[in-house]
Amino acid sequence: MKNLLSASSQNMPKHGAALLQFLVLGLFCLFAIRLWYLQIHLGEVFTDKSRNNQLRIEYLFAPRGFLRDRNGELLAVNEPAFALGLVREDCEDIPATLEKVAELTDIPLERLKEIYARNKPKVKSFEPLVLAPDLTFDTIAKIEGVSVRWPGLEILSRTRRKYNYGHLLSHVLGYVSEANEAEMQADPTLSLGDFVGKQGLENRLDDRLRGTKGKRLIEVDVTGRRLSEEQQGEPKAGQETFLSIDLGLQQLGHRLLEGKSGAVVVMDPDSGEVHALVSEPSYDSNMFTNGLSSAQWAQLRDDPLHPLQNRATQSVYPPGSVFKLVIAAAALHYGLVDPKETVNCSGEVALGSHVFRCWKHSGHGAVNFQRALVESCDVYFYRLGMKLGVDRMSAFAKAAGFGTPTGIDLPHEKGGLIASKEWKLKRFGVRWTKGEDLNMSIGQGYTVTSPLQVARYIGAVINGGRLMRPALIKGEQPQVTGQLPLTQEQADTVKRAMVATVEDPRGTCHRVLTPGVVVGAKTGSAQVVRLTEELRRLGDNVPYRFRDHAWMAGFGEQGNKRFVVVAMVEHGLHGASGAGPVVKAMLNALFMGKRELPPQDVAGAAEPAASPAARLEAVETQFPEPPQPLPPAFVEPPRQEVTPE
Amino acid sequence: MSPIDRRMFYHVNWRLAGLLAALFAIGVLNLYSASGVRLGEGVQMENYYQKQFIWGAIGFLGMVLFMIFDYRRLHSAAWPLYAVTLLLLLAVPLVGKTVLGARRWIDFGLFNFQPSELAKFTVLLLGARLLSGGSEKLNLKELGSVLALGFLPAILIIKQPDLGTGMLVLLLLGGLVLFRGIQPWLFRTLCVLVPLVMPLFWFVLKDYQKRRILSFLDPATDPLGSGYHILQSEIAVGSGRLFGKGFLGGTQSQLRFLPEKHTDFAVAVFGEEWGFFGMIVLLSLFCGFLYQIAAVARDAKDPYGSYLAAGVFFYFFWQTLINMGMVMGLVPVVGVPLPFISYGGSATIVNFCLVGLVLNVSMRRYLFKQT
Repeated sequence: MKNLLSASSQNMPKHGAALLQFLVLGLFCLFAIRLWYLQIHLGEVFTDKSRNNQLRIEYLFAPRGFLRDRNGELLAVNEPAFALGLVREDCEDIPATLEKVAELTDIPLERLKEIYARNKPKVKSFEPLVLAPDLTFDTIAKIEGVSVRWPGLEILSRTRRKYNYGHLLSHVLGYVSEANEAEMQADPTLSLGDFVGKQGLENRLDDRLRGTKGKRLIEVDVTGRRLSEEQQGEPKAGQETFLSIDLGLQQLGHRLLEGKSGAVVVMDPDSGEVHALVSEPSYDSNMFTNGLSSAQWAQLRDDPLHPLQNRATQSVYPPGSVFKLVIAAAALHYGLVDPKETVNCSGEVALGSHVFRCWKHSGHGAVNFQRALVESCDVYFYRLGMKLGVDRMSAFAKAAGFGTPTGIDLPHEKGGLIASKEWKLKRFGVRWTKGEDLNMSIGQGYTVTSPLQVARYIGAVINGGRLMRPALIKGEQPQVTGQLPLTQEQADTVKRAMVATVEDPRGTCHRVLTPGVVVGAKTGSAQVVRLTEELRRLGDNVPYRFRDHAWMAGFGEQGNKRFVVVAMVEHGLHGASGAGPVVKAMLNALFMGKRELPPQDVAGAAEPAASPAARLEAVETQFPEPPQPLPPAFVEPPRQEVTPE
Repeated sequence: MSPIDRRMFYHVNWRLAGLLAALFAIGVLNLYSASGVRLGEGVQMENYYQKQFIWGAIGFLGMVLFMIFDYRRLHSAAWPLYAVTLLLLLAVPLVGKTVLGARRWIDFGLFNFQPSELAKFTVLLLGARLLSGGSEKLNLKELGSVLALGFLPAILIIKQPDLGTGMLVLLLLGGLVLFRGIQPWLFRTLCVLVPLVMPLFWFVLKDYQKRRILSFLDPATDPLGSGYHILQSEIAVGSGRLFGKGFLGGTQSQLRFLPEKHTDFAVAVFGEEWGFFGMIVLLSLFCGFLYQIAAVARDAKDPYGSYLAAGVFFYFFWQTLINMGMVMGLVPVVGVPLPFISYGGSATIVNFCLVGLVLNVSMRRYLFKQT
C-alpha cells in the first residue's frame, strides 16, 4: 500500500479515455435498441396492456321482457330482489367475514365456503361475488347494521323473474335460472348471477326477452377506484311478448285436469295459434329462479307423475281410435273406400289363427264409412287396414304430420312414431306381420303421437288441408308446414263424419254436443297393456296404471270462429267419459263464454296430497265405483256417463 | 494564489454545464407530470417538482462551492474522510433510524443524513488518490489493497440493507481500476473468477432482494408481487410507442399503476409520455453528458484530476445503466435512482457537487503546475 501512496504522480492512463468513450457508445446502442424493441416493436402489445390496466367494462342490466297472455294479462314480470355480494378486494379477512355472513343469514358456513370456492374463479376483480341470492328484509337490515365493520359486504339490488301463475303455465313458459359456466363462456355479456331462460318459451325466446345490456367503460386507478365513466350503448329492455295463450282457458284446463295426468290443447286451426296448452301435473316456475335445493330437485325429478314433463308436446301416447280419423282419410285418399258401401260387423275378424275383436263384441251389423266413425267400429277399420297395408297407412300418417315434431316454440318436443316395414325390420330384426296392420288401423301397436300432433291434424282436416305450425306468440305470421293429401271433398267427408259422431245420439261423442255450435269429435281409448283375461274381468276396476288412456279430439265451429280442442287424460279409462267433459267444458268456454267448471264428474279430485306416492294413490282411488252405462243425454249430463268403445 | 482566477471563468466547460441544465430541466418537468394523481374529482398535484427545484438550487450552490477551490487539495482529505465514513457506517446499525425496514439514516436533529451517500464520495476520492499514483498497470497486490478498501464500506452498506448503493460503491471502484488498466494475466484470471464468486453473494442477500432477482428472470411468475414493478414499467415505456401519450397524458403513472414513479421509475413516466422519440433525445443528452465528463478525464492536467473525473464518470455511468436498464427490464429491480431525473434531495445535491468537481478539474486544465 505504501508504494501506491508514494508513487510518482506523472502517469496518465493510456487507454482509460478510450474505454470511457467506448462505454458511452455502448450505453447508447444498448438502450436505443431496447427502446426500439419495447416502444416500436412491442408498442401495440404494451398499449393493449396499458388499456387493460386502465379500463374496466361494466355491463348495465337490461330488464327481461314481460310476458302477457293474448288479452294482455301479465304472466311473467320482474320484481326486485336483494342479494348479498362480497368484493374480495375490499375484504380484510375473508374467512372471518364468511363466518359472520353464516351467522347473519343462517346459511351454514360449509355451504358458504362451497359457494365462495365455486364462484371465486368466475368473478373478476372488484366484482362482487354473490354469496346469498335472495335476502329477506330482516337479513338486509341485519347486514346493513354491521356493514361498516365488515368491509367488502355489499347488498346487490337485482331483479328476479316472477311468474304470476307459476303452476298454470310452467310447461309453456318454462323458467329462468342463473347462467352457468358454459352459457357465460358462450356469451361474454353474461355475468355471474344473470338469468337465462332454461326451459319453455323463456328458453326459446331468450334472445328476444333478454334484451341488450348497456356497456360502460370505467376508468380506474391501481386501487380500482373509479375515475371516469363512458357509456357505450344504453341498456335495451327485453321485448314484451304477447302469447297466444288465453289465461282463462288455460286456467280452466288446469282445473279440469286437477289431480290427474293429462294434456289439453286448444288451437286456432287457421292461424295455428295455441290458446291453451295444459299439462298436468305441473310445477311452479318460480321454484327455479332462486335455485332449487338438491332435495327439491330430486323431488321434482323422481315424482312418479313426472310434473316436469309437458304432456302435450313431450309425451307420446298410442292414439287409439282417434287414429281412425287418419286411417279413414288415408282410405279416401287412396280410393280404397266408397263412403256409401257397407261392411258387416259381426264383432270380430279372424286372421289366420288369431281373432281380432270389435270393442262391441256383439257387432255393429252393417256399417258404412260414416257409421263406422260414429260408433268407432273396429271391424270396419280392420278391413280398411288390411286393404291399405302398413306402407300406405304410414305414408299417409307421415304426410298428415305424425312422426315428426310440429315445430312449436318449445324445447325437447317429441315427434312420436309411425311404424313401417323397414322400421320394424331394422328395430327388431323381425318382419312386419299382417296382424300388425290391423292393430295399426285402430291406433294401437307401435303408433304413438303427442296431443299437439293430433290437434294439428284435426286443424288440417277442417281448414282445407293446411298443416299449421302451432304458434305460441300472438299475431305472428301463420306458418304452413305441410299439406294434407286430401281433396276438399274428402276432407269434408271426414269432417261430416266427426260432426255426426257428436250429433248422432249413438255417436261416441254425443255428450260434447254444444247448442249453436257445429261440433265434430272422435274419441280414443288407448290400451296401455295387453289386457289379460283377469284384467278384463275387472272391467273398470283395473288398477290405475293398467287403465286405458282417454282421448277426445274435436273441433267447434261458429260462424268464422273455429277451434280445435284435444284432450288426453292418462289412464282416463274411456275417451268419452275421461276426456269428453274436458272437451265439452272447453267448447263451452270458447263459444258460450262459460268459464266455470262443468258438473263434478271430472273435477272430483281431492286436494293434491303431499307426497308423490300419496298423490298417485289419490289418483288411483278417483273412480270408486264402476261407471254405469246410461243412455246419453245432453241437457243434464248424468253423474257417471260412459260411452264404451 | 487567489482561489478564483478570472481566467478560469472563461475555461468553464459550458457544454457540460449546459447538458447538466438540460437534464435537470427535463427532470423537473417530468416530475411535474409524475406528481399528478388523477382522482375521481380531478387531478391532485403533489409537490415533488417544487421540492426537486429547491434541491437543485441548493445543489447549484454546492456545485459552485466545489468549483472554487483547487481540486488537488482533496488529495490529502481522502484518508481522514475514509475514517469518518467508516465510523458513521458502523454507527448506523447502533443509532440509525429505521425507515421502511432499512436502517440507513442517522438523525442529526436538523436533518437526516445518509452515510452511504458520503461513502460514494469517499470511495471516489480514495480511489482517485490510490490509482493515480502508480506508473504501470495494476498488479495483484495493488488491486487487492484497493478492492479491500472498497469492500469494507460496501459490505456495511449492503447490510443496511441497501444493495443498490453498496454495489455502486464497488462498481465505481471497479470502473476506476479498469480506467487505470490491470495486468493482462490478472484481467483474464478475474474474468474467470468473478462469475464463480458471484453466486456466493446469493447467501448475503435478503429475501426480498432474492425475490427481485428471481422475478427479473421471469416476471410472469408473480405479476402482482415482485414482478409487478418490471411489468408495469415495461408497459409504461412500451405503450409510449413512437411519440408517447403526451405530456401529463400517461395513464400508467397518473393512475398509479407504475410504482415509485417519482423516484426509481421516473424515467418510465417520461418514456410513456414522450415515446421513443423523447427517450432517444433524453438518452442522447445523457450520453453527451457522460462524453463530456470522459473528455475532461482525458484532457485533465494531471492524473489525479483525470482519475477524479473518471470516478465521477463511473458514478453517473453505473447509475444510468442500472436505472434505465431496470426500467426497460434489462436489470433486476435495485434501488438506484437516475441522476437528475429521479426525485431525491441528497442525491441531487451530491450529483451537482460532483459535476462541480468535474468542472473544477476541467477549468484548471491549462494552469501551470504550482507545486
